[in-house]
Amino acid sequence: MKNRLKVLRAERDWSQADLAERLKVSRQSVNAIETGKYDPSLPLAFKIADLFEMTIEDVFLKD
Amino acid sequence: MNKVPAYMKRYIIRMAMSLALYMVILLAGLSWMNSGNPPGSPMAAALAILTALPILCVFWAIFRLLVEIEDEYQRLLMTKQIVIGTAVTLMIVTIWQFLNVYNVLGQGPQWIGAIWLAMFGLAGGLVRWKA
Repeated sequence: MKNRLKVLRAERDWSQADLAERLKVSRQSVNAIETGKYDPSLPLAFKIADLFEMTIEDVFLKD
Repeated sequence: MNKVPAYMKRYIIRMAMSLALYMVILLAGLSWMNSGNPPGSPMAAALAILTALPILCVFWAIFRLLVEIEDEYQRLLMTKQIVIGTAVTLMIVTIWQFLNVYNVLGQGPQWIGAIWLAMFGLAGGLVRWKA
């Protein structure tokens, strides 16, 4: 699944480590989600969307 | 998450305590067995089980970590690590067993727990390298 994580993160000037800390996951996890290697669970996807104050559909895109 | 997560700290403490206990019991047990007054069979059996217990704690610590990991991606990586480690161990002991059946090797599979731990360690490197 594609996502806009890298762009959203860059808009806020957050590093992967910054985002990882806010989500309480490892930086490796953020990198895996960002590069599309791993699709997060629904709870984590909601957490990410909430953090960016967006809906899930605004962050994650259909292939 | 730069600092070590609480679940990982618990895992490290459990592993360190188990391995320290194992070393103490193993050294004491072997010293007694090799002494001039070794224990009889019932006591030797108890000593063998006592020596194995900290290793059982190592397995418990590993599987407990799988339950306690809060980071879902890390949990996925660890699940892959356990599955690959188990698969490779089963391959090794199956081949070893048949080498024994065909009289190529004098003994069947030994130290299967130790093989699993070694394969689990190797699988960890592989899984995280690919991640």
